[in-house]
Amino acid sequence: MIGLLLDVATTAAILFVVAAGLLITFGVLKIINFAHGGFLTVGGYAALVVTQAGGSPWLAAPAAFVAGVVLGAAVERVIVRPLYSRPLDAILATWGLGIVIVQLITLAFGRGTNFVPSPVSGAVAAFGTDYSAWRLIMLVVAVLLAAALAALLQGTRLGLEARAVIMNEELAQGLGIDSTRVRFVTFALGAGLAAFAGALITPLLSVDPLMGVPWLLNAFMLVLVSGTSLASLGLASLLLGGAQVVISTYGNPVLGALSIVVLAAVLLRIRPAGFARG
Amino acid sequence: MSAALDIDGVTAGYGESMVLRDVRLSVAPGEVVAVLGKNGMGKTTLLKTVMGFLPARAGRVRIAGADVTGTPPHRRAARAVAYGPQDRAIFQELTVGENLRLALPRGVRDMQAGIERLAAFFPFLASRQRQRAGTLSGGEQKMLIMARALLTRPRLLLIDEITEGLQPSVITRLGEVVRAERAASGIAVLLVEQNVGFALSVADRYAVLARGEIADEGPADADAAARVAAHLSV
Repeated sequence: MIGLLLDVATTAAILFVVAAGLLITFGVLKIINFAHGGFLTVGGYAALVVTQAGGSPWLAAPAAFVAGVVLGAAVERVIVRPLYSRPLDAILATWGLGIVIVQLITLAFGRGTNFVPSPVSGAVAAFGTDYSAWRLIMLVVAVLLAAALAALLQGTRLGLEARAVIMNEELAQGLGIDSTRVRFVTFALGAGLAAFAGALITPLLSVDPLMGVPWLLNAFMLVLVSGTSLASLGLASLLLGGAQVVISTYGNPVLGALSIVVLAAVLLRIRPAGFARG
Repeated sequence: MSAALDIDGVTAGYGESMVLRDVRLSVAPGEVVAVLGKNGMGKTTLLKTVMGFLPARAGRVRIAGADVTGTPPHRRAARAVAYGPQDRAIFQELTVGENLRLALPRGVRDMQAGIERLAAFFPFLASRQRQRAGTLSGGEQKMLIMARALLTRPRLLLIDEITEGLQPSVITRLGEVVRAERAASGIAVLLVEQNVGFALSVADRYAVLARGEIADEGPADADAAARVAAHLSV
């Protein structure tokens, strides 16, 4: 039972990290970034490259974060920004970019499945049970990251500007806020979070060019039911991620993999605002 | 000395229809100019064009002598221009303090002096900084808009129908704060109003906008009310 609860917590934590990047990008730029899964895959391969080059597995996630931020900054500047006034085209462009990223990775690394060594191995005694040491670390990292994001949004000038742009971009501009800059920083940070999450999960999952697809789908549905609130996203990750774990454990893993998408769709049918207020 | 604001032959509009046609109006430093006119005559469009939310199809906009035509709104705001729009003018989900803080330029952190100065007119500002702005009364929200605009002592204030729906005592207080700030720091004000009495009581000059053109302008003297009324009744 404790093991199941820990599974729920770690699954929710990693879903939260993946979806948080998508959510802040959606809030500030008003577009869903369909290259988010591609950024996550880049993070997985960044972990692979770092460890194959002899770097410590502990460096994998920070290196992936930096790679994601740099890539996201370039993508925002070259692809997304010229399409600000055409949000639908911007969304299509990110979709296309996601496909290009997968193809480029396939060209460079092949279609095969790769494995990244874990910084720690085995199980440790926790809460009266033996549990995967890496999953526990992942849980702590995700909680710290959520706290850091909340502090960034609530406690800094940039966070205040980002919240202002989310709520009413024109009013923010009229007060002297450079919303282009806020969009740029947010997109780069969102890409960095996706890549960070991609590296964080590599000790658990294999690395292949399509590894981002299920995460993109789940993160997309989580953002749909959470609006632009990180608190709602935390709740949605816990409930829907929890359902996924329970269904996979006691039912069937294939149904489990579909559970977030199906439950989110049902929830939106019953309550269009999802977990968001209003 | 160049004008605080110089609207020089500006034409602007949405799509094919031009809401403003060849508008010429300037505001000297320390001067309060009221733009009056019926609904749909282009008053709000004029402020949006001055702020850069709408491009000028012809003509130039100059702020303190600098040509800002074609620059984005945040760069105009950075030239010590404060803008209080008519609709959706506060961040409802943010606190009073956060709403005020957003008006500070980057790198400026301290707003205590500004709040103390403005709390003399709007006492709730000092005591209710942590309250969500959306829970303020309608009058308090308008006072917050005015306070946020004046917080950083701008050189030019653009304000859109601040008195709409307010009780007379609040309107009086808003007039007091405009007069006091003008006396203290020589702020120039472009005031878009429906409330002719309020507008003429704080303004030095008025301009009437009708179908996108300046139909009349003159000093806000004893005869002004009658002349404005003649235009508004047509």
